[in-house]
Amino acid sequence: MQISVLVALTLLVLTAVGFLVGRRRALSAADGQPASLHSLPDYYGYYIALWTGAPALFLLAIYGIFGAALVNTLAFGQLERDAAPLIRGYEAALSQDADHQILSGRLDRLNDQIAGLRAELQGGTHSGDVEADVRRLSALTAERNQVQAGLAERRSEVASGIEARTPDTPAGRRALAGFEHWRATPERRELFIADARALAFDEGLASRDTPALRAAAAALQPVERLFQWSAAGAALALAVAGLAFARSRVSRRFRARDRVEGAISAVLLLASIIAILTTVGIVFSLLFESIRFFAAIDWRIHEFLFGTQWSPQIAIRADQVGQSGAFGAVPLFAGTALITLIAMAVAVPVGLFAAIYLSEYAGPGFRAWAKPALEILAGVPTVVYGFFALLTVGPALRDFALFLGYEDAVTQSALSAGLVMGVMIIPFVSSLSDDVINAVPQSLRDGAYAMGATKSETVRQVVLPAALPGIVGAVLLAVSRAVGETMIVVMAAGQGANLTANPLESVTTITVQIVMLLTGDQEFDSAKTLSAFALGLVLFVMTLMLNIIALRVVQRFRERYD
Amino acid sequence: MDLTAPDGAATLYHPTPAGLDPKVATREVSVTYGGKLALDRVTLNVPDRSVTACIGPSGCGKSTFLRCINRMNDTIDNAKVTGSIRIDDEEVNDRSVDPVVLRARVGMVFQKPNPFPKSIYDNIAYGPRIHGLASSREELDAIVETSLKKAGLWNEVADRLAQPGTSLSGGQQQRLVIARAIAVNPEVILMDEPCSALDPIATARIEELIDELRENYALVIVTHSMAQAARVSQMTAFFHLGALVEYGPTEEIFTNPLDQRTQDYITGRFG
Repeated sequence: MQISVLVALTLLVLTAVGFLVGRRRALSAADGQPASLHSLPDYYGYYIALWTGAPALFLLAIYGIFGAALVNTLAFGQLERDAAPLIRGYEAALSQDADHQILSGRLDRLNDQIAGLRAELQGGTHSGDVEADVRRLSALTAERNQVQAGLAERRSEVASGIEARTPDTPAGRRALAGFEHWRATPERRELFIADARALAFDEGLASRDTPALRAAAAALQPVERLFQWSAAGAALALAVAGLAFARSRVSRRFRARDRVEGAISAVLLLASIIAILTTVGIVFSLLFESIRFFAAIDWRIHEFLFGTQWSPQIAIRADQVGQSGAFGAVPLFAGTALITLIAMAVAVPVGLFAAIYLSEYAGPGFRAWAKPALEILAGVPTVVYGFFALLTVGPALRDFALFLGYEDAVTQSALSAGLVMGVMIIPFVSSLSDDVINAVPQSLRDGAYAMGATKSETVRQVVLPAALPGIVGAVLLAVSRAVGETMIVVMAAGQGANLTANPLESVTTITVQIVMLLTGDQEFDSAKTLSAFALGLVLFVMTLMLNIIALRVVQRFRERYD
Repeated sequence: MDLTAPDGAATLYHPTPAGLDPKVATREVSVTYGGKLALDRVTLNVPDRSVTACIGPSGCGKSTFLRCINRMNDTIDNAKVTGSIRIDDEEVNDRSVDPVVLRARVGMVFQKPNPFPKSIYDNIAYGPRIHGLASSREELDAIVETSLKKAGLWNEVADRLAQPGTSLSGGQQQRLVIARAIAVNPEVILMDEPCSALDPIATARIEELIDELRENYALVIVTHSMAQAARVSQMTAFFHLGALVEYGPTEEIFTNPLDQRTQDYITGRFG
């Protein structure tokens, strides 16, 4: 830590020195005539400063990203070599252990049986009692889990025997550390490394403190220190070398200004690449988690996309009943579509008409305060809309429905969530539409008025058609907002996955289910949790399609006015 | 045609040749935009079946004058028009006159071609439709065809009437807009720098068209091109700083200007 601060400060100073050196060098090259230089003296300074700072920073960044992994590999590789006698003893003990051999044999047989049964069930050639076979499969799986647990127990017994016989000397402790690292499952290994690093470098709190961990920490420290020093030395050497190199290039003819320009465009390019790569990264993480989900439901993608039953609970223990898990997402798609439809039915006419009034009819005085007032609506947090829907609109709608004689009315309904979401989107539609209507050139309006058209004729027949592509774009953007909106529906639409077109029933949406699946304590290897990622992927694809269509529409129908 | 100049008016009037009947007569027309005087007591007679050109440096009020004739200044919030404008002895500025009806009698063509975002056919049919001029599809087709023929555009677009008006070239668009104005059978056609956004060939085509239209309509055209005014117009009005400086037959104005400012402007000394 201290080293890195020191290096950063030194680099900063070197960069500043580089700037001054560049300026002075350029001025001396100019022989007292700064105007004879290709660029202003400052540009030579920037040029050298860039060559001093940028490569060294790049090196440090690379070290920051890959350094820890490299240090771990080197240190634990050495520890595992120290543990070689222990590993050999452990393997020998296991191969002579009768219990272990019986259990491994059983596991192999069980695996074969399960694979055979699976293939039979999926192959479609199965003729017998499917349900009985499915029951048999789950019984076999439960048995396999037991055998695996037994194996793990047996192994750790053997391992603790070995560990107990290891002498409590520094070398012994190192061997123990290497042995533990070697024997651990990937998750445990990660934890072990994290604990060792915590003990060695105060990176957070260690969950345990054992002699083996202490030994591992001690092994980490010298390697880490070596790497830090070498990285710091390399960075500083690179900075000095860059400074010297750039200084040697400075001459009267040298185009420092163009080089600096190039560096600026590189920085800007980097920023946009970071933004794009982040998006790509998010998409890929969605994609991979979704693939894990589809693998967990045996690739029944059609069932996910077209199934009408959504109940993602899955048995975690063997003795739980009635929790097979059903991942038919159609009720969620339908709920999303229903609420979006209601929201758009509110937002599009109101927003559009408000925009037309504000841009075509309203006097400047009214417009001056009405437009900001409408935009305040966009500043209300969605959670506030949520409890407005839940506490005010929902009960009012329910009472009204009861009054009309509809007995099954509930507070949490698609209608109340949709209405309030529509209100939320009004400023979105009106503000975007207002912009495109104002962008319609005055000459078109003049043309219509000069033909003897009235105001509303002009708006309907000339202004709106000219603004249509923009308005369609605005509406589609509003739709993708409605589809992705979460808070209002979480609070006001209910959670039951009903497949219904009745707006007075409670429905659930894709976003609500994602919230339900991922909040609270979850384990990220069950199909239930992973299904959230598949839903997220569907949501992403939906909004992506909407945006692509919106762009296409806008391009296709755009009239060019200059 | 006699024009009795009101006392105190600064305008110099040339004698008007015989055989030109006044179509539009303005008396003491002034316009203010938010209190700022843009047009100062303009009095002139626009003859029927001829072209009257309005010339003058930028900001001299010639476009403002044009927009008074079909009351387009009504669409500007803070514009105020005083004085009298008569078309065939009917007062334009009267409250009882519906500007919507008036604008069907006075067509207007703008500086930049402004076809509506509709098909070529619908652009022409727009006026007849909103004013209910055609009672059947055949009649409407006939109006569209005659208007396009009068504007000299029929041969170029006859086989693609369903295409958007904006797909035409600039010169074609301007003729389309003229055809659109003709379609409602107006009496007066106003043109506000109709060629300033066009290339020389398209300009020549429009000027030819203006000359043909003179047979049936009273045209008032604002132009920055002295040569164009000389080529297409019979009468010329020179505006300067909101006032009408000099008005008379085009030949007289260009060969024998009475006012020094007119002389300077047409010889290119300012403006």
